[in-house]
Amino acid sequence: MLECRNLVVTYESTMVLENLSIYIGTGEIVALTGPSGAGKTTLLRCIAGLAKIVSGTIHLNGEEITTKPAHLRCIGLVFQDNQLFPHLNVAENIAYSLRLQRIKQKLVDEKVAEVLELVGLGHLSRREVIKLSGGEAKRIAVARALVAQPKVLLLDEPLSGLDKELHTRLLEDLGNLLRLRGTTTIHVTHDQDEAAKMADRVLDIRNLMQH
Amino acid sequence: MMINPYRSTSKWLAVVPVLMMLVFVVAPVSNIFITSLNIESFAIIARQTTRNTVWFTTWQAIVSTILVLLFALPIAAITANFEFFGRRALISLISVPFILPTVVVGAAFLELLPSTIHRSALAIIIAHIYFNFGLVVRLVSTRWQQIHPHLDDVARTLGASRTRLFLTVTLPLLKKSLLSAGLLVFLMCFTSYGVVRILGGPARSTIETEIYFRAMQLGDVSGALILSILQLIVVAILISLIMQFSRAKSAEFAQTVYSRIRKPQNSAQTLIVTLVAVTSTLVVILPLISVVRRSILVGQQINFSIWRSIFTDAEIFKSLTTSLRYAVFTVVISTTIGLLGACATVYGSRRYKFVNLLTALPVVVSAVTLGLGLIITFDVDPIDWRGAWLMMPVAHCLVAVPIVMRIISPTIRDLPNGLRDASQTLGATTWQIWRTVDLRIIQPALVTAAAIACAVSLGEFGASSFLVRRNNETLPLTISRLLARPGEIIQARAYAIATLLIVACIAIVGLVDHLGTNKRGI
Repeated sequence: MLECRNLVVTYESTMVLENLSIYIGTGEIVALTGPSGAGKTTLLRCIAGLAKIVSGTIHLNGEEITTKPAHLRCIGLVFQDNQLFPHLNVAENIAYSLRLQRIKQKLVDEKVAEVLELVGLGHLSRREVIKLSGGEAKRIAVARALVAQPKVLLLDEPLSGLDKELHTRLLEDLGNLLRLRGTTTIHVTHDQDEAAKMADRVLDIRNLMQH
Repeated sequence: MMINPYRSTSKWLAVVPVLMMLVFVVAPVSNIFITSLNIESFAIIARQTTRNTVWFTTWQAIVSTILVLLFALPIAAITANFEFFGRRALISLISVPFILPTVVVGAAFLELLPSTIHRSALAIIIAHIYFNFGLVVRLVSTRWQQIHPHLDDVARTLGASRTRLFLTVTLPLLKKSLLSAGLLVFLMCFTSYGVVRILGGPARSTIETEIYFRAMQLGDVSGALILSILQLIVVAILISLIMQFSRAKSAEFAQTVYSRIRKPQNSAQTLIVTLVAVTSTLVVILPLISVVRRSILVGQQINFSIWRSIFTDAEIFKSLTTSLRYAVFTVVISTTIGLLGACATVYGSRRYKFVNLLTALPVVVSAVTLGLGLIITFDVDPIDWRGAWLMMPVAHCLVAVPIVMRIISPTIRDLPNGLRDASQTLGATTWQIWRTVDLRIIQPALVTAAAIACAVSLGEFGASSFLVRRNNETLPLTISRLLARPGEIIQARAYAIATLLIVACIAIVGLVDHLGTNKRGI
């Protein structure tokens, strides 16, 4: 389980998160909604270890990780704009975290093939990422995060900017995939409908803060 | 709020570049000013000869700049707007003169131009146009491609003719890049040394050649310093203006290249494109051909023995190996130090901007003043390095480091932080992020910087003329020495060496452009 207690984050003297607390159970999918600028992305970045917090604590499976460096947290983040590495192809992007762990090449290839099949893009393994469509890039970003077997997966508006048909299909696929793997997930979205379809619980970030 | 994974490393990254600049630039330049400058020497400013030199330096630089802009603009227009056969090759070709050693350009025009205009201002101006127009084409063409083609359409639908469109939309949008390119060309012509020494003769000297003449021929170091202060002030003003325009440009334009480039739409456009492309190609290759031709012609007879002799003549072969050794040294050292400096300034907080300023000093101070400072400072115990072989390649590195840094820095700066964040969340440590993301993406820029550093070392002439000893002459110095001696065979040897340097420069431009077109993604 993941628990944030009384998180305070400021940016250039503006309060971004004020005494925010949230609890997410193991395997649970939580959708986080709220207006633009409410601090949804900031919260994800704090949980991932990419943003500094002024005060408060973060616990993961009972261990305090508030000051733990991002690369040691085992928390995956799918960025709104994917952030696929442009100098690596699809398979190399997915294999990135496995290579860091110095896993044998044969095993890396197997895991990459497995996760590519899971997201339905087995045929694109050698493609350059700049040649992917919006939907394909999104699936690869999810696959790259999943292959690292994160304890928690953070999705920052993963379906924004996609056309309606693709949005509906990916929403369904993503929901099934996360449930199948039992991945604890926080899914940030503007779209109430998307939140309701995807998540076990829907939370408004404004209700998580104590002023 | 953001966590910068590299911030804590900036101070360590900055150590070597800062030390290098302090020891080899700040210390020697301060030393000559403290020890050799005296108040009486300021009288040199009032002398008629000095005023003539300053006036000549200024007017030839102004005329050269205007002509360079006029010549480069049509070429920038066709490369920014039209697709035609050989477009990429033309862009590569026009970049060659800019990285050619100045003595090679001087030698080429000595051969190409009629002897009646040798040793004249006209010869210097023609060589300056040749040397700099490719730089203007590259800068202006890049900006031109960033003007959204829809702006042309809007102006046309509002009733603007092609001329009005150019004058009221395109030119105002290009104004800052033209000004910035113009200032850069003015700076190059104002501080020109190799071209003026070869083509100007004793009657035509710029401030830079006068500094050399005063210090080395007349032994008037103090007078030379006054001139170098004068030049330093002008250069510092020009560089600050160029930096201001560059900043304004980046704020005004998105870093996007739109699809402006199209095939010529009618026969008039085809004719103009063909004319401009053919003329510019001829302008670039004619001087180069004249160098090659002169290297195999002795008394109107083809004679390949000249080429054999440059590999069998012990002195020439020695300078060839010396140049290659120094080039390897410069590539390794300046690329490493430039990379460290670029990383320190980009990753560090605002405090690290001083590294950027400090490493720009070798450009501001000018190669001739730098050479003068080095020989005077490192000529006393316990640091009697004046005669050490290391001194000249160190000077080459000092000239190359600012260029290397300015090639690498934009690539590191433009790298989206999100990629580093993604790498971190996938389990990469700080070192792993740098190795697998930053280093991999800046690799083409790094190779480009190394190639340019190689060209800088192979062609460096200003500082080298001060630091040369009998046993460490480099190829440009050998060319200059041979050209000053009478005899057709001796001069043909100078042209054969110049041909070697031309081939090296063409290979370097080819490599750089190949990397530029092959890099993936961002």
